[in-house]
Amino acid sequence: MSRSTQRLVRDGILAAFWVWFSARLLNDWFGGVFVPAGQPFFDPQPVADAASVIGDTAASLGIVGVPVGWVASALDSISFAMTYLPDLAAGAWLTVVLTTLGIVFGIVLAVPLAAARVYGRITRWISLGFIELIRGTPLLAQLFVLYYALPLSGWINAIPFVGSGIVPAQAVWVAIIGFTINSAAYQAEYIRGSIEGVDPGQLTAARAIGLSQLQGIRYVVLPQALRFAIPSWTNELVYLVKYSSLASFITVAELYHAAESAAYDNYRFLDLFLLAAVVYVLLVLSATTTMEWVRKRVAIPGVGGSAGGRTSTE
Amino acid sequence: MDPTSLVLQTGLGDWEFVWRQRQFFVNGTILAVKLTFFSMVLGFALGLPAGVVEAYGGKYSKGVVRPLGVVVRGTPILVIISLTYFAGGISPAFTAATIALGVRSAAYQSQIFRGAIESVESGQMEAARAVGLSKLGAIRHVVLPQALRRSVPGFQNEFTIVLKDTSIAYAIGVAELLKRSYDLFSIQTTAALEVFLAASLIYFVLTFTVNRGIEQLHDYVAIPGGNH
Amino acid sequence: MTDPLLDVDDVYQSYGEESVLEGISFEMERQDVKVLVGPSGSGKSTMLRCINRLTDIDDGDIRLDGNSIFEMDANDLRRQVGMVFQDFNLFAHLTALENVTLGLKRVLDMGERKAVEKAAWQLEQVGLREQANSYPAELSGGQKQRVGIARALAMDPKLMLFDEPTSALDPELIGEVLSVMRELAEEGMTMLVVTHEMGFAKQAATDVLFLDEGKLVEQGPPEQIFENPEHDRTAAFLSRLTQLHGGQ
Repeated sequence: MSRSTQRLVRDGILAAFWVWFSARLLNDWFGGVFVPAGQPFFDPQPVADAASVIGDTAASLGIVGVPVGWVASALDSISFAMTYLPDLAAGAWLTVVLTTLGIVFGIVLAVPLAAARVYGRITRWISLGFIELIRGTPLLAQLFVLYYALPLSGWINAIPFVGSGIVPAQAVWVAIIGFTINSAAYQAEYIRGSIEGVDPGQLTAARAIGLSQLQGIRYVVLPQALRFAIPSWTNELVYLVKYSSLASFITVAELYHAAESAAYDNYRFLDLFLLAAVVYVLLVLSATTTMEWVRKRVAIPGVGGSAGGRTSTE
Repeated sequence: MDPTSLVLQTGLGDWEFVWRQRQFFVNGTILAVKLTFFSMVLGFALGLPAGVVEAYGGKYSKGVVRPLGVVVRGTPILVIISLTYFAGGISPAFTAATIALGVRSAAYQSQIFRGAIESVESGQMEAARAVGLSKLGAIRHVVLPQALRRSVPGFQNEFTIVLKDTSIAYAIGVAELLKRSYDLFSIQTTAALEVFLAASLIYFVLTFTVNRGIEQLHDYVAIPGGNH
Repeated sequence: MTDPLLDVDDVYQSYGEESVLEGISFEMERQDVKVLVGPSGSGKSTMLRCINRLTDIDDGDIRLDGNSIFEMDANDLRRQVGMVFQDFNLFAHLTALENVTLGLKRVLDMGERKAVEKAAWQLEQVGLREQANSYPAELSGGQKQRVGIARALAMDPKLMLFDEPTSALDPELIGEVLSVMRELAEEGMTMLVVTHEMGFAKQAATDVLFLDEGKLVEQGPPEQIFENPEHDRTAAFLSRLTQLHGGQ
């Protein structure tokens, strides 16, 4: 397959996924617009029946029936996915919420942290200490500290509307706080790297036309540094999509949690975890595709970026 | 009685609890280190050949290795661990965790090695072939020795990631550091902060030591003017 | 009697142990064009940077319009003193036009429309009307430096500082920048220029200042400095420079 066909196939799959996903969410939020909430859009039973009929035929054909058997098991998997995907959709939505809010709030914290790390005097050391402590400890341990050891849950529960309607329950907010803190530390490092990648002459020139240091950083250094940081950001987003699964340990019913609880009902662990893995890969691909689009949207000749981040990229 | 001293006392009591259970933490730490070590070795054993294939492989070998890597890198480690243990039925849990962390690490290590190999100038390969080495010989004796040195920073990063992710083996009950902290917390719930901070501190010391250690190693194997 | 526009008064400057400027004094009247020459490391660029306080001095004083620049707000000072850099330092993420409007909008608080109008006019003055919407990476070195000049001029400075404006350019691109600078001199802009272009010095300078090892060795009108220098060091330096850079 050529590069452009690959891209076309990828975009097609992602488009289909998001059409299904948004229809699913709209349907379930508004109390069953198309079908009753939580019910599959199409009845999986005929597919399952077809699978078992073909399966029987395959068995009766003996050795010749092996490829027919594959068709049967493929149909079986499809009917399985049709049955359980509605259960995973609500979880996948929480995964999207955790990831998006975690990265967005993370940026808000990360920019001043990075600026302090590069330009600060005393704040430089505070920022460095925070970044190193967070990056040196596991995210799961951080979530446990926030959830079990600090009185956060109580405070959040005291806020009106938490856990009612579309406002997520307190554990979700604790998870969002955890992801915000964690990703702020990593993002601060990427942004620091890209601030240092901006030619120092840029700030000198900004000062020379009378901009203050803060204005120079704001209007000249950051617009370039943030563009340099896009590839690392892509990695960070991918990282958060995957590691948001850890929120399941503090009772957040995100994608992994949804798959696991369904599996405890029917003991089809392999099928459900594979199904969850497929949805994760689709979310990861959505993230990279979106960031690629962003990169092209804000691209300026001569101000490019190269990859960095917690993990090496593809 | 002065209320601050009361707070201090209960606080100290929980720290004392942590101290009394130190052997429990030490055993958890040893397990975390073992898990990291075996996972990294497995990741290296699978990841280096995968990286070489991605850099030099033909259409078919690349066609297998690359999508496999994309899928493994796109899946959360928690899902991979659960698949190995619950669905794959591999036991004991320690083995399942080692395989899961090792395979996932292989997918990332392959990218570190591919990148490092591709950063070695193509002239090196040509010069090696020009003195009569086979392609494999050239990779083995000329390209890899340079590429491996260049992959040290990426490897260091990967090492700390695996070390921290051993905490996720908690999901399948491996008695590593975090699992043990959680168990201690269930015994004495007032000690939540102390127990989880103690565990975090141990992780921090471990990652810090590993980082400094690998930096030392990097300086040790450095070739004058030949590294970046 | 009015004060000179710029009065550099016995300025000392050093980097750590290294002494860079050792008691430099000179004055500039309005519409003066002074060219600073001297071997590399003689302190020419540092002298310029002291004048807009990009570098601090150890001792002495610098006055602009009779007021010590060290009693002024640094940002206030810098908008009265334009600077053109050797390696251009154009804002890489902004178009040529936006490079010029940034200061107008953020320092002079000009509205968007007025800023764009003024910037467009300024770019036209340096012959770059067509390139207004190009990014720095899409411009030649000569075009970049002309944007750099327009960016500084747009702030309506009292004084323009040029720090080796043509040193980073390919020889065939130097002419376009020098001709913009000559026009500027003819229009009466006060300019202090560090350059190795002796042709420019002969045609446009009111005075040439020769700096060596942090000291002002001598100064005078170009005819005098080129034809009849007082010091052997000046003569030796200029003859070497003329061989290298031509003197038409």
